[in-house]
Amino acid sequence: MNAREEMLDYSSEVRQRFEHLPRHGRVFGEPSERVTGTAGSVEHGVRVEFEARIRHGRIVECRFRAYGCPHVIAAASWVAEHAEGRAAGDTDWLDPRRIAALLDAPAHKLGSLLVVEDAFRACMAGRREA
Amino acid sequence: MSDTQRPIYLDYAATTPVDERVARCMIDCLGPGGCFANPASSSHALGREARSRVEAARREVAAVLGALAPEIIWTSGATESNNLAIKGAARFHADRGRHIVTCRTEHKAVLDTCRQLEKEGWQVTYVSPGAGGIVGVAEIEPALRPDTVLVSVMFVNNEIGTINDVAPIGELCRARGVLFHVDAAQAVGKLRVNVDEICADLLSVSAHKVYGPKGAGALYLRGSPKSRLEPLIHGGGHEWGMRSGTLATHQIVGMGEALRIAALEQPAEAQRLAVFRQRLWDGIASLGGVHLNGDVERRVAGILNVSFEGVEGESLLFALRELAVSSGSACTSASREASYVLRALGREDQLAQSSLRFSLGRFSTTEDVDRAIVLVRTQVDRLRAISPRDSEAQKEAM
Repeated sequence: MNAREEMLDYSSEVRQRFEHLPRHGRVFGEPSERVTGTAGSVEHGVRVEFEARIRHGRIVECRFRAYGCPHVIAAASWVAEHAEGRAAGDTDWLDPRRIAALLDAPAHKLGSLLVVEDAFRACMAGRREA
Repeated sequence: MSDTQRPIYLDYAATTPVDERVARCMIDCLGPGGCFANPASSSHALGREARSRVEAARREVAAVLGALAPEIIWTSGATESNNLAIKGAARFHADRGRHIVTCRTEHKAVLDTCRQLEKEGWQVTYVSPGAGGIVGVAEIEPALRPDTVLVSVMFVNNEIGTINDVAPIGELCRARGVLFHVDAAQAVGKLRVNVDEICADLLSVSAHKVYGPKGAGALYLRGSPKSRLEPLIHGGGHEWGMRSGTLATHQIVGMGEALRIAALEQPAEAQRLAVFRQRLWDGIASLGGVHLNGDVERRVAGILNVSFEGVEGESLLFALRELAVSSGSACTSASREASYVLRALGREDQLAQSSLRFSLGRFSTTEDVDRAIVLVRTQVDRLRAISPRDSEAQKEAM
């Protein structure tokens, strides 16, 4: 497989999330319930933003926006989806290596997936108890 | 699109399909009843027949380039031609000097060959292109030294399609007694190429860029066979001892026919492709935040290289998988290496990484162009909409 083929050889999980963008967008509602966190930069090729609505210490809604390769977009989508229903302070479940394996991402993409993790942790770090 | 659907081919600068007229000539040379004998087998009629087909093709290629037939050396393609020209000339003329001048925006077949010579003790000056990516005398002349033996400049840049000022560079080199090599892989079939008009001593050509077969190419060597190069391949003394190996008659015949057709149809095709390219540019540029890479005027008709603000290159390429186009990103390593050509032009990383090269060709249609416009507009809008950068701008606007 040459570099270009490898570049566009994405798993069905990545393809589905890239196509349909589940949990993409913004969170609306009471400002006191909303938290936001970002990480990365466009200049470095990856920038991810999460927004979450937290009520009674639980994430009731989470959305992402992302600038990055399909693996980044898929990872952000997966994290936003799996964050909902969890305790806002709990980030132990977030493991970029596990997400990389789930998305069948090549090893050189791990750095980009760490940006996704950083963005979600930044979002949670900014949470306020509602 | 479904993954089994055939993409719209807009990557003619990478390679072209074999023209049916060319394929027919090649098929004539294959099979037991074909012209399959070894062209070096002069002891029998079949060998002599093969040789006559090879020599007819050599005359075709020479005629297209304004050269003499003995000045054409068959190779496997432009990469080999570039290697033979640069290494062969440098090594043969090593007693005259060990300095080479080339440009940062050359094809890797030239740059990597020069890097190899550096490891062997040669010195190489890699000049930056001028405005719009054009390389001319102003860039080359200051780099020349008394020990310069070779200047290598491509005729047309493969990524951005700009046309370098090769004729004045050739005149300069001739006046200074320096050999001038031109990689014309992207020029033949797109422009008139005449070795005398550009004062080329060496010129590389490929068949597969002009609807001929892959695996066939040629090197023009002024004054051959009296002029010499240090061969890269030994064994048999074919091609006046400069490129040994049994000649692939069907490939060579295909190349001759491909270049003949390309030269014949080039003026009309250039006009047609210029209209397509303008239509494509107009359709894409109105999105906003789209940058044309390379000089606006001095470019071949079929190549359009553009960068998109606020769009990540790998995602754009995947989103546009209904189109077969080339990307300026090489996102296969942690370094996220962007196009070295666009970076040499001064493009910032984000724009270099989000560039696409559309290259139109003989079988492109208006429908292809219009479909490409719709897809690009849709997907660029979509990717910009999901980007936090876009969201920030929206917030600021609110």
